Order: sequence, then C-alpha cells, then structure tokens
Amino acid sequence: MRRTRLSWRIIALLGALALVAAACGGDDSGDDTTTTTAAPAATTTTAAPSDTTTTTEAMMDDRTIIIGTTDTVSSLDSADAYATADWELIKAFNEPLLRFQPGSNSVLEPGIASLPVASDDGLSWEVTLRDGLVFGDGLELTVEMAVAQLNRLMDTDLQASAPNQVGNTLAIPYVESIEAVGDDTIRFNLLGPAGFFPQILAGAPYTIAHPDYFALDEMNLLPTAPIYGLGPWTITEITAAEQTVLEPNPFYTGSYPARVDRIIVQRFANPSAMADAVREGEIDVAWRILGAEAADDLKSVDGLTVETIPQAPIRYLIVNHADGFVTADPLVRQALAAAIDRDELSDVVFGGAVTPLLSPVPPGFLGANEAFEDAYQAPNLDLAVQLLTDAGYSESNKLQLDLGYPPEHYGVTTADGVLLVAQQWEATGLIEVNAIAQEWSTYVSNCTNGDTYPVCVLGWFFDFPDAENYLQPFIEGDGLGTMVLCPNDSCGEGVTATGIDPLLGQLLLDQRAETDLDKRAELIGQLQDVYADEVVTIPLWLEPEFIIYRDGIVGDSSLPNPQTLNIGPDFEFIYSVLDITG
Amino acid sequence: MHPLLTVFLIFGIPAGLALGWVFLRGSESLRRYILTRIAHTVPMVLIQISIVFFVLRVMPGDVVSSTLGPKASDAARENIMEALGLDDPLIVQYFKFLGDVVTFDLGDSFIGARRPITDELGERLPATLELIIPAAIVALGTGLLFGTYAAIRRKRTADYSLRLYSVIVYSMPIFWLGLLLRLVFSVWLDWTPIAGRIDVVTNTTLERTTNLLLVDSIITGNWAAMRSVLHHMILPAMTLGLVLSGVFIRLTRINVIETLQEDYVISARARGIRERVVTYSYALKNAMIPVVTVIGLQVAILLAGAVLTETVFNWPGMGRYLIERISSRDFQAVQSTVAVFALFVAMISLAVDVIYSVLDPRVKY
Repeated sequence: MRRTRLSWRIIALLGALALVAAACGGDDSGDDTTTTTAAPAATTTTAAPSDTTTTTEAMMDDRTIIIGTTDTVSSLDSADAYATADWELIKAFNEPLLRFQPGSNSVLEPGIASLPVASDDGLSWEVTLRDGLVFGDGLELTVEMAVAQLNRLMDTDLQASAPNQVGNTLAIPYVESIEAVGDDTIRFNLLGPAGFFPQILAGAPYTIAHPDYFALDEMNLLPTAPIYGLGPWTITEITAAEQTVLEPNPFYTGSYPARVDRIIVQRFANPSAMADAVREGEIDVAWRILGAEAADDLKSVDGLTVETIPQAPIRYLIVNHADGFVTADPLVRQALAAAIDRDELSDVVFGGAVTPLLSPVPPGFLGANEAFEDAYQAPNLDLAVQLLTDAGYSESNKLQLDLGYPPEHYGVTTADGVLLVAQQWEATGLIEVNAIAQEWSTYVSNCTNGDTYPVCVLGWFFDFPDAENYLQPFIEGDGLGTMVLCPNDSCGEGVTATGIDPLLGQLLLDQRAETDLDKRAELIGQLQDVYADEVVTIPLWLEPEFIIYRDGIVGDSSLPNPQTLNIGPDFEFIYSVLDITG
Repeated sequence: MHPLLTVFLIFGIPAGLALGWVFLRGSESLRRYILTRIAHTVPMVLIQISIVFFVLRVMPGDVVSSTLGPKASDAARENIMEALGLDDPLIVQYFKFLGDVVTFDLGDSFIGARRPITDELGERLPATLELIIPAAIVALGTGLLFGTYAAIRRKRTADYSLRLYSVIVYSMPIFWLGLLLRLVFSVWLDWTPIAGRIDVVTNTTLERTTNLLLVDSIITGNWAAMRSVLHHMILPAMTLGLVLSGVFIRLTRINVIETLQEDYVISARARGIRERVVTYSYALKNAMIPVVTVIGLQVAILLAGAVLTETVFNWPGMGRYLIERISSRDFQAVQSTVAVFALFVAMISLAVDVIYSVLDPRVKY
C-alpha cells in the first residue's frame, strides 16, 4: 500500500514538473516577433494536427506583422460602421471609391473608381469604376451590384435598424439618389452643391460590401471569417475581443498591394499591457491609444521608434447659447475665450506634447486660420475682466459657472487640462467654477442635450477631412449642445438664433455650395472669424496620437510621412504600406 | 457544437455524475438537502438578476448615448431605443426579460456588433474558467502546503514568516500584484509573456472547439499551442492564486495545529507512526474539512479577482466583459453575465456542501 501511495506521489510530482517544464519552455514566437515569423501550413485559420510539430518552425520564416491596439471592433458593415477602428479594418479588406494618399489627408487618389467629375451645377458627381474589380473570393463586381450596395446607405429602414446609422450622417443629408450610368459609372445626385463631396467618397461607408455577406435588406455587423472585399487584404480570422488576421487578397489590382504575408491586429484591454508588449517584442507595432506619458517612456527603449502623428482629433469646450444659461450672454462667452492660456495647458499638462488650437478648424485644412488668437490674443486677463465687468459681474458678484467633464473617457490628461482651464478662469477673480465629473455614459448625453451644462468638454475627430466637418456639427441642428441655431427647438438648416450673427448660418451654407477652392477658403476664413466672435465653441488643443514600432518595420518611403508608417493627419493606417526589412 | 454547451458538458457531466452518485448513495437527509439547495438556486438567481435589472435602468446615463456618441440625431436615438425595446414601460421590459431568462434566451448585446450574448459568453466564459481553475489550484496548493508547514513549525521562524506572508498577500491589491509580477517576470526577467492567453501567432494555428485553449490544444494535438497556453497562464494564475492563498494558509495552519493535538493523532504517534504520515495522512486530511467549506466562499472572490486580473493581463474573460458592458450600459449583457456568475457560485457552493458531507460522515443536514 505504501509503495502504491509513493508511486502515485512520484507520478503526480513528475506530472506537475512536466507541466511546468512545458510551460517554461514555451515556444512563443512572440519572444522574437519583429520580423521572422513563418507562413502557416495553410492559408485557412487552422493547421492540421499532423502539421503542428512543424508549424511553429515554419512560422518562423513567415513575414507577419503584429499590430497592437486598444480599439475594439464593433461593426464591419460599411453601411453602419462609424468608429475609427472599424473604418481602418474595412479599408483594409475593402477599398473605397476614392482614397487619400497614405500619409496625407489632402491628396485624393482614385480608389476602385476614378476621381469624380462634378456637373456644372454641382448637383451630381460621377465616378467610373476601375476595370477588372474582383472580390477576394473571385466574385466579379458589376456596376449594378455596386450601386445596390451603396444604396444601403440611403435605405432609411435599413439605417434605422443599425446601431451607428452612418448613412444618416454621411449619405442621406447630402445625397438624393445613387444610380448606375452605363457599364461602369456611378452617379451621385446631391440635394445641394457640396464641394467637399469627394472627401466623403473616400470614407469607409463608400466601399462596396460583398453582397453574399452584406445583404441589401439587413445589416451584418460582424460576419464570420473569411471576409472578402475589393481591398488588398482578406480577413481570414476574427475574434472581436482578441485578434483579427488579414492575409493578402490575390485578386487585388489597386495601387497598394500587400507587402507582407500576414497582418495580425491584436487587441489589448489597457494601454500599459500594450506598451509592455511592444517593449518586449510580443507585438511589432503599437497603435491607438497610448498616452503621451507611455509614449515618452518607450522613447528610451532600444529597438523602438516612437513617432507623433500630425494631429487631427481636437479637444474643445461646448458652450451653451440657450437662454437660461450664463453663457447665453456673448460677453461671458468672450471672456471665457479670452482667459484661456493654451500654452500653459500644453506645457503643464502635456509637457509640450499638444498643439494649442486657435480656431475650430485645425491647421492644414482648407481655409484654416487662427480666429481665436486674432479675436482675443489669449491669455488676455485684462480683456476677460473687462468683458465680465461689462456683463455685470464683480468680485462680490462672481460668475457661477458649472463645467462638466468626463474624468476617464479621454484620459487623465484631458481631465487635468479641463481643471487647469477652470483655474485660469478663476484667475480673473470674477469667476467661480464648479467642475463636475461624470462617467461617460451619463456625461455625453448631458453635455450634448443643451439642458445641463453651460460649458463642457468634448473631443472631435472628423468624419471626412474637410473644414465643413469641424464647423457644421456645432452650428446646425442643436449643435451638439451649443444650441446656437435652435435654442428653443427651432432647428432647421440656416435658421439663426436670436442674437447670433445671421452670417454664421449663411456662411455655412455658402461655403458648402462653393466649388472654387480659393473662394471657399475665403468663406471658411470668414466663418471662423464669426465663429470666434460668437464663441460657438472654444477650441483648446490638438490631441496627439503616437505610433510605436520595432526596428525592421517600415512604411513606404515614396509616400508622405514614412517615419509614422505613412499615417497622416487623417489617422488612416494603411496596412499595405507596411514592410519588413532585414 | 456551441462552445458554451461544450464547456457545460465538459464540467457538467462529471459534476452531474458525481452528484448523482452521492444522491443515490447518500442518506435520506442528504438527498433532501441536495434537492432543497437546487430549488433555492432558482429564486436566488432570480432575485440577483432582478436587482441588477432595476439598478441598471435607474442608473444615470443611457446606452444610446454611450453607443452612438454625441453625433447621433434624435431620430437615430429613437430608432435605437425602439429596436432595443427600451421605449417600453419598465414593467413590460422586466417581464419580457424574465420570460427570456426562463427560455434561456439571453438575447443580443445592445452595443457594438449586437452579437448574441451566448456567442460572447461562449468566448469569454472558457477564458475565465481557464484562469480561475489554475488560480484555485495555486491558492489551494500553496495554502495547504505552506499552512501545514507553518503548523508543524509552530512558533518558529518559518511559522512567523509564513503568517506574515499570508497577511501581506491577502491584503495586497490584486491588480497591483499583477502589475508587479508582470514587471518583474515579463519585463525585467523576460521569463513570461506580457499578456493574453496564447501567443499571437500560435493562436492562428489553434482550432477552437471549446474555447478552453488548453483542452483545444490537447484535442487537436497542437503541442506548440499547449505550451504557449501554459506559459501564458503562469502569471495570471499566480496573481489570483497567491492573493487567495493567504486565507488558506492561515486556515490550514490553525486547523492542522488543532488536529495535531487530537487524541487519535497522539495515539498514532505513540504507535510509532512516522511524523510525516501523522501530519499529512492523519492531521491534514481532517483539517481539510473546514478548508473545503471556505473554498465555496472563496469562489465568489475568485470571480471578483478575475475581473482585475483579466484587465491587467489582457485576458479576454467574463470579468473584463462585465466591466466593459457596465460602462456602456449594455443591460442585456450585464444581466446575462450576472446570471451566469450567480449560477456558477450557487453550483460551486452546492458542490462544496456535498463534498463536505462526503468527507465527514458525521455531518447530517
């Protein structure tokens, strides 16, 4: 009996040791991930059991790049998707009608269609499909198929069933109808002239979804892999919470074919794990969303390159113009604008990593100027005090101001920035700020409903890279809580609220209809000047984003911004520019 | 076969067989007790999910805004509310929800890709099981080993050290310990991976059936994947297990000390039985009985700890899922996840009580 018991103990001990040894001898190719991973035994998602003993060794010769991100995938249906991460993946497996040159957000190129031609009255645009367009499974594209799929954006019932309803934002407000002309031409008939319409065509909504996966009458937010499109990649495997695997599309005939054998997008729950993973070589690229501090830490790591992406996302203050709020008084709004020290914000909170934003339209966009700087020369405490005094405030009768902010959604630094703004306002001696932190789910509706806060902070990233998209959302409708044009539910295009310079709404309409770029730039400049005078919103700073990648990973040196792997101000990460050297 | 069903069968069949054996072989009172406990599980889970249902709906914030963000039009919001049934009266929503629960229809997630929650749990639950089971083994193994050693080295340096160690680990925040272990073993020493359940590239070679990656790798003979899974399991399991081991160390120590003073142990020594046999075969076995009881209580803490551990180590389990969905006000997902947690804790608790009665025949219910 004793011998049997001893035997069992020895067996158990040996078994435990075997497990530990197996674990510690883990054959993780992640230990040396950078460039040397092998092609799997098959292009399907799994290897046959008999191949597994050689799979890992074979994998070591594969050209695979692993991209880490904290973004999650929520929709791959182009008629619905609205998030940056979703658009990035959609544009990987599917090419839009037009595209921006990787690394730029101003150079429009043909995608699966030619550059658009506008009619004389600007009410229709035509694009011609490229020859020989074939989906990744061999299905040939016809113009009728393309028009039918694009009309999913126009289908109000279909849009109503979708969680993100991108058609209600980027199609229906601009487009009257979409029709096929001849064998290869698509015509977009617009509701009104829109000079920026080509930029909209470069968005993920204007990709042609595969009809077998994305039916005309229903959404398919997350199809099962493989997911085929007209782009340079095919999604061969996807687990929404974990990873997405992309392999080259053999039928792609566009300008940016894949340069490596495989891309794996690995999801991380938190930025610190992603930062450690890129530090240790478990991933090759870390992209979205690493804060300035984490990026700074990684600069000192050998074998890593840390680059700042030219900025496009902004942080700004929503200012409520509705009656009943202290900010309905233009003198108060102007005083708030005059008191802000953006340089101090950048230096104190971000260590100089952010760029002060002096106009609602960021630099680099058509017509961008420095309207707020011209109007207020902030920080201008004397002007702020004068304005507040004229508004009837004094040291014994201070302006009581509620300032809402989300403590975590935009990161700790944004919260710190907002609190510093509050201090800057209080430095006038005539303002008392009550900073109110709220969790995002509660905060976002309170900030944008126009009923709760006089001032609150939001971030903004464009839907299409044009000045229109930095102006229209804050002026028309309820202006995301600014209540500029409809403070009393009087919303309508061009309807201007009492007391607001009527030029505001009119200039918005005029620049939208103008197709001459120089004239349009001038109109946009004027619009920003009125915007600053009325303080529709208060722009704060441009939020930087960081890309970190290991040695041996390169972009395309013939394209703009190769040092950021050809990610330009539009934040488009085009996987097919990536290559492995060495 | 759906991964959730496969997991249920993997654990449920042996558990069911064991329970059935105990039921048939046990006393009348034990059979009555088992049936009563099973019956109690239903209202217990019902009360829990009802509380969650109403708390979620009275909390400030709404799923529409957190999903659509600030850009959504009023029409879009109304459409979403209608599609999700959130525009119905609260009491209508509640009874519809109860009806769905009774028919095991967990519904679809409100946010993101609006996937069926069973599909999402089918991915997440196995991940959590693959974390908490090794963690429980670490906690128990460490606790029993160190607790027994502390008991036999009572009032010596080893005893004091282990008691201090048990207090330190138990009071240590799980996320802090996780970050510390990751820093030391993954970053400084480079002995273990940073995060995840399996190496990124190896993952693409593994055919998933149950989403229990260790099981799947063994079934498919993918030994590279098995090694990777075990390698990735070390730190998360240690983090969660070590924190809980503090309780087991102290409990084992106390019980072994008491048991070593029992008459039958003294007489065993007097009969010349070796001290090691006395300690482990006589004392520890009987000292285990109260420890088994505590295991049931610690399961709930294991699940709570899994939430933090999964976040630190990028482990795509149910804990992380629950946090994400609470933030997004995804009522359906939160209710379903809480229901699964409640059921899990109830089942483990029942199993512990049954095991207790098997270990100690003196126990009668």
